[in-house]
Amino acid sequence: MTDLCVSGCTVAFGGLKAINDLTLTIPSGAITGLIGPNGSGKSTFCNMVSGQIPPSGGRVRLGEKDITGWRSDQAVAAGLARTYQVPRVPKELTIGEVIGVPFRYARSSRELPRQMSTTADLARFCGLAPALDTACADLSISDLRRLEIARALACKPRVLLLDEAMAGLSLEDTAQVIELVREVHAAGITIVVIEHVMRIIATLCQHAVVLNNGRLLSQGTPEVVLRDPAVREAYLGKGFGP
Amino acid sequence: MSARYSLLTYIAVAVGLGAIALAGNAFLIQAAIGVAISAILALSWDILSRTGQVSLGQSAFFGIGAYGSGLLTPQFGVVLGWVAGILLCAVAAILIGLVTLRLRRLYFTIATLSFGLSMQVLILVTPGITGGSTGIMPPVLMGGSPPAQLLLITGFLVVAAIVSDIFLSDRFRPAFFMIRSNPALAASSGVPVVATKIMAFAVSGMVAGVAGACYGGLYGYVIPEDVFTPNWSILPLAVSILGGMDTTLGPILGALVLRFLEEIARHYVGGVGYQVVYGAVIILFIVILPRGLVGGLRQLLRKLARRDAVPARSRSEAKA
Amino acid sequence: MTLASVAQAVLLSLTVAGLYAAIAAGLTLTVGVTRIINFAHGEFVMLGAFLTYFLFNQHGVSPWIGMVVSGVVIGLFSALVYRVFLARVLKHDEHNQLLATLGLSILLVNIAIILWSPDPRVMQAPQLLPALQLGGVTVPGNNLVVAGVGGLLFLALQYIMRHTRYGTQMRFASDDAELAMHCGINVDRIFELSFVIGGVAAGVAGGLVALILYVHPVVGLDLVIRAFAIITLGGLGNIPGALIGAAILALAEGLTSTFVPHGGSFGYGIAFLLLLLVLVIWPNGLFGKQAHS
Repeated sequence: MTDLCVSGCTVAFGGLKAINDLTLTIPSGAITGLIGPNGSGKSTFCNMVSGQIPPSGGRVRLGEKDITGWRSDQAVAAGLARTYQVPRVPKELTIGEVIGVPFRYARSSRELPRQMSTTADLARFCGLAPALDTACADLSISDLRRLEIARALACKPRVLLLDEAMAGLSLEDTAQVIELVREVHAAGITIVVIEHVMRIIATLCQHAVVLNNGRLLSQGTPEVVLRDPAVREAYLGKGFGP
Repeated sequence: MSARYSLLTYIAVAVGLGAIALAGNAFLIQAAIGVAISAILALSWDILSRTGQVSLGQSAFFGIGAYGSGLLTPQFGVVLGWVAGILLCAVAAILIGLVTLRLRRLYFTIATLSFGLSMQVLILVTPGITGGSTGIMPPVLMGGSPPAQLLLITGFLVVAAIVSDIFLSDRFRPAFFMIRSNPALAASSGVPVVATKIMAFAVSGMVAGVAGACYGGLYGYVIPEDVFTPNWSILPLAVSILGGMDTTLGPILGALVLRFLEEIARHYVGGVGYQVVYGAVIILFIVILPRGLVGGLRQLLRKLARRDAVPARSRSEAKA
Repeated sequence: MTLASVAQAVLLSLTVAGLYAAIAAGLTLTVGVTRIINFAHGEFVMLGAFLTYFLFNQHGVSPWIGMVVSGVVIGLFSALVYRVFLARVLKHDEHNQLLATLGLSILLVNIAIILWSPDPRVMQAPQLLPALQLGGVTVPGNNLVVAGVGGLLFLALQYIMRHTRYGTQMRFASDDAELAMHCGINVDRIFELSFVIGGVAAGVAGGLVALILYVHPVVGLDLVIRAFAIITLGGLGNIPGALIGAAILALAEGLTSTFVPHGGSFGYGIAFLLLLLVLVIWPNGLFGKQAHS
């Protein structure tokens, strides 16, 4: 069974095709790693399925729903939430207010498990130490990342896209966020992790998908994918493969 | 906490302006009417700005409110005429909101400015309906009794303050601010960004329309230059920023202070060029109090609170 | 409506376009670089007009020289305004910047009203060039001066932006001020420079105003409001776009005031009906850059 499935999708910026006739499926109930070199189309993929940029062709499906060309808030209602790599939250809002926005507005029909059912629970679940009335302007980068995950979870998603949720974190913080992602997964949410640190993909994911030049390069278990000569070549250039 | 302060604001406005109306000093009553209309208009601007839409077109809705209510009241009676006039503002706001929605910030501001100025032409080319350059004669409010007019307008100001507070509640404030600083994040949190921005525009247009309708009913005579002048677009911007944006108290306080200074200037500088003080006040405030009176006050309170809280904080830091 | 009257209206409109282009080109340069909607630009034009007027009427200085003097004086004045005031609000929010330039504009207009009264004045300058006769159509000499100097000013600004080191830096700073700063460009200095260049252009344009329009304290406001329509039509920061926008607006105004009953009283409303129409179709103006989203 698949939760998220794109078929024949293309996104072009001017002459450049950031996503080029891409077809791939994200297995249900798994943690899938989405990897690829810089400019391979990872972020565009994320923006496309979450409704920021409509694809010029092809279909995007979430479960049984065809969400091609839906706006972001409609995609959220259908059960797809995402985090942002650089979370620019309004400085004047507090942690509680930010998490409160999707709790109020997201029209997802799903319910979150008890340990995530209120703003306070969700903040605790995501390991946000500061009080709920702390202004976002005063947060550290690691707390901003946790807040971003909490905000996305408050959308009550069936599929959660994490766009480099661990970039710029210390080793200790990264380990904690990895643990958090595992717990979210254990709560029954399908997860797509966009990452370029291979070690994280290898330890965290059951499935991996590699993009290059907007196309699908390889997919399978992380071990298989990371040993794929085509993947090594895409990352390291010709002549570095085994 | 904020609900109690809001109630205090409503009571202060009602009691203060009500007392002036009852005291019966003609000059004070006119000044208070000016303050109240400016405050309503400023609140309308502030509500819109909370979604990141910095408008220079409030004069359009001010004028449509004055013209709409003035022209429709003889047809439908006061209540229906006003309701229809204000609804006209909502329709105009939704249309212009749809046009300006895609515009980036500076373009949005200039487009709204252009909307306000185009309205004047629209009036000039439709003399059959709108009286053209000769203007219209709206029915005078409350039989032309200034104290009664002040009481009525005070009532509208309290309503505008309540509307403003509704949009500062937990239901709207965080979503509005998120739309303002990061619309993509708001959309990804389930907020219907386009619909919310248009809704804010419509509400803002209606509140500005109420201010215009009040103004139009003061003297029973309105010409296009009275209500469609860019001054009614600049005033709410100045009043809200000087008083303190993103608050209900700010625009009210700003209207009071700015109008007060303007009257003093009119007295000392004279009728010609007295607005020199207006310009100077704006410049001084922008440099000294960029967050407005309310923002400055909050900063001061926070500083005082922090000074009290220093021992407690250093203890917790030592523990960490 | 005869052919000659149409030709007359078109030619006169095109000379007015020279004035509009001179004002709009300076404005679009500062707005494009600093991203501040500078309402005080109109007051720089107004002050330039008064300076040229007083130099001629009280000291008999030729408007040719008057224009140059007001370009220099207003350029220096804008540097002063930038350093003392605008540099302080650059880091503030957009609405504060907007209010800052509006406040400055109100202040300058009213100082002018107090000093020189709100009454319009006429410079009564001699025609600086002989009138142009084309068939049955006459274009007064001073209109030719306005078109010519406006065109030259426009070319000069275009040259500065395209072919000088400062121009390159200004374009860089307008694209991405932060990146420019990291590349060792003194962004503050570049912003100031763009203000001064805009100020010089406004001063010279003020001299042109004195040649063909009434000189009065709100003349700048009338013109800057048109200039905003023009630079938005052409795309913010786009200097050639400003020239085309100026021509479109001047023609639209000239033709309406000549051939539409009471058309002359529409004033800048024409500019904005036109602008609204264009923005509905092209949200970034006719020649604006695509949104960076």
